Amino acid sequence: MRPLRSIALTIAAGTAALALAGCSGTSQASTVSNQIIPELTADQQVNITFESYNLAQAGVWTDTVKGLVADFEKAHPNIHVTAQAPQGGGAVGSNTVSSVQTQLLAGHAPDVAQLTFDSLDFAATQLGAQPISDLVGQKAVDDALGGAHPFHPNAKHLADWNGKTYGIPYVFSTPVLFYNASKLADAGITNPDLSTWDKVEAAAKAVSAKSGKPSLDISCASIGGNWCMQGIFKSNGAQVLSDDRKTIGFGSDAAVDTVTKLAQLTKDGVLRNADSSAQSEGLAKGDTAFILTTSALQGSFMSAATKGSWQLKAAGMPSFGSKPAVPTNSGSALFVLSQDPAKQRAGWELIKFMTSDHAYEQISTKIGYLPLRTSLTAPGGSLYDWAQKNPLLAPNLAQLDRLQPWVSYPGNSYVQIDDILGKAVENVVYYGKDPKATMADAQKRAQDLIP
Amino acid sequence: MAFITIAPPAQPGSSDVALSAPTKVSGPFSSLRSVPSHILLIALAIVSIFPIYWMFVTAFRPPSDALSTNPLPGPLSLENFQYVLKTIPIAGMLANTFGMALALAVSQLLVAILASYGFARWDFVGKKALYLLFVGSWLVPFQVTMIPNYLLVSQMGLLNTITGVVIPQLCSAFAVMMLRQHLEAFPKDLLDAGQMDGRSSWRTLWEVVVPNLRPALAALGIMLFISAWNEYLWPSLIMQKSDALIQVGIRGFLGAEGNNWGAIMAASSLACLPIFLIYIFLQRYVVDAFVRSGLK
Repeated sequence: MRPLRSIALTIAAGTAALALAGCSGTSQASTVSNQIIPELTADQQVNITFESYNLAQAGVWTDTVKGLVADFEKAHPNIHVTAQAPQGGGAVGSNTVSSVQTQLLAGHAPDVAQLTFDSLDFAATQLGAQPISDLVGQKAVDDALGGAHPFHPNAKHLADWNGKTYGIPYVFSTPVLFYNASKLADAGITNPDLSTWDKVEAAAKAVSAKSGKPSLDISCASIGGNWCMQGIFKSNGAQVLSDDRKTIGFGSDAAVDTVTKLAQLTKDGVLRNADSSAQSEGLAKGDTAFILTTSALQGSFMSAATKGSWQLKAAGMPSFGSKPAVPTNSGSALFVLSQDPAKQRAGWELIKFMTSDHAYEQISTKIGYLPLRTSLTAPGGSLYDWAQKNPLLAPNLAQLDRLQPWVSYPGNSYVQIDDILGKAVENVVYYGKDPKATMADAQKRAQDLIP
Repeated sequence: MAFITIAPPAQPGSSDVALSAPTKVSGPFSSLRSVPSHILLIALAIVSIFPIYWMFVTAFRPPSDALSTNPLPGPLSLENFQYVLKTIPIAGMLANTFGMALALAVSQLLVAILASYGFARWDFVGKKALYLLFVGSWLVPFQVTMIPNYLLVSQMGLLNTITGVVIPQLCSAFAVMMLRQHLEAFPKDLLDAGQMDGRSSWRTLWEVVVPNLRPALAALGIMLFISAWNEYLWPSLIMQKSDALIQVGIRGFLGAEGNNWGAIMAASSLACLPIFLIYIFLQRYVVDAFVRSGLK
């Protein structure tokens, strides 16, 4: 009976919404016993689910992760892993938390999940992520992050929260300024110094004058680019969130000054107003000559450059004058969500494997992601030859030394806060809105969402 | 989509749409007067067809030319199709999606026949209120019922199954409304004749009503099939396995590291083929379906 069913469903929807609200309003953080979870015995069979957004992308992403899971099962015959992509129709990487949340509501959250760093606070406080350093002990975590080729010091603790390790960083990228060196050469610029925004502006003006159209894209200033916009703010002395995590800083003088400078690039006809998808295709098609974006796009730019017979080069994130540039990271960490000790242990074994030397050899050479065990690219390391063949990696690796974490906002409204910032930045940078008033308004609205 | 009744229900046994014949404009300028409207229609047709054209043009380009803005195809290449066939099990996906769409269309049609027959045949207390609830349920956004439905499917152990995609959508209020309109116009004499012949209500439905409604049922069935084929959000929520349905498979070529437009267009071209085949072989019914419903 459709009408009755519909009424029932409507009531059920309200009930579920309340349940969801309750779920997100009530802390799901585990009650930590501070007892180390026991090791699995050799004949103890454990089944776990592993949710990875890389599995939502066909091709090398899915093949590489599935290959690693198969390798893991071969090395741990008593652990069976069901690897799955997040549910829902969002873009890859955009729906990781909502997928876990829905499954949590249905009582079957994945045992291990790949979650983006912006959700760290939410994962630790609301989503039931387990503090790994409590589950297996800090020494085991340190040992896993160390070894012959340890994690880069600035990558180790990106998923630490409140003094505990909740996630092990898995894959991430940093903002890199890719540019079409051939177009620059046509404009009379060879071997450009693009270390500061002023220098980037000068070079972009020259190319724009030659081509008659804006030549620069900054994906950080568009919706979805806040992970690196945070880095641009930090590079100019602004903070999106205070150190005590209580005060939003979008409206600070330094933040207003930052977006004002970017808006000036638009007014000068240098910065192009385009959505993130058009931006990444702009450099590939030859519409633009510069783009500050995720280093993960390097592969697609390289193939476009080969096809278009132009020279692709890369530089680190520009700085504001003499202030050091402060790149931030995108990407994700692996979290244990299971409440069952055997699954937690199996999950930890999987996480160790997925962040091992072997895993990064596969991930870097097949997908092209940055190896977080950076010494693998040093002479004698198994990725040395690969790094030599990919000289564009150099600025990416170099700026890891200045890397600061992608800030995750506190509370349940972290996505809305990020959205408010993204829209405010777009309105100022691309649509000429008053910087001070717009950023102050965004700060006020975001502050109201901070618990 | 908007639901606008622009034509009265067709009479049983007739597949023709009862539209009043346009008044002929006589005189030497009659053909000239229709030129602007034809130009407008041609322009609209081009606007409608161009995305489909562009999809095939991009699909048949070499992958490295996927971002080319050249409106003409060439050089022709099958690389995108080869990549899609190698990367995702597209034949299985198409078969699964076909099964899902067929199951949905058949079940929704069946429920619609029974419900609309009940509404059209008998007068009972609360009939209008019940019908309004039906109409009201059609207005409830899918997002509202999504989570409860997901929980139900989860509790039934049907996650990651096509059955899980189908069950919460077994009934379509739209289909009930459409068929009710047709049944309201069904000659009562035929129903009475059936009863006089000693047929029960059940036999009258299947031996008198349904055979006479074949054209309308065919048209509605095609619409339901196309609608089910185009479903995206609900299947992507239920089917976490990425190799089950074509909708989820195509999404796999969209990524944070750039979209593989060549593969997306090749996979989309293949996904369109069943609908194209339906259109080619059942063109009259498809057009009839859209004219009857007033769906734009």
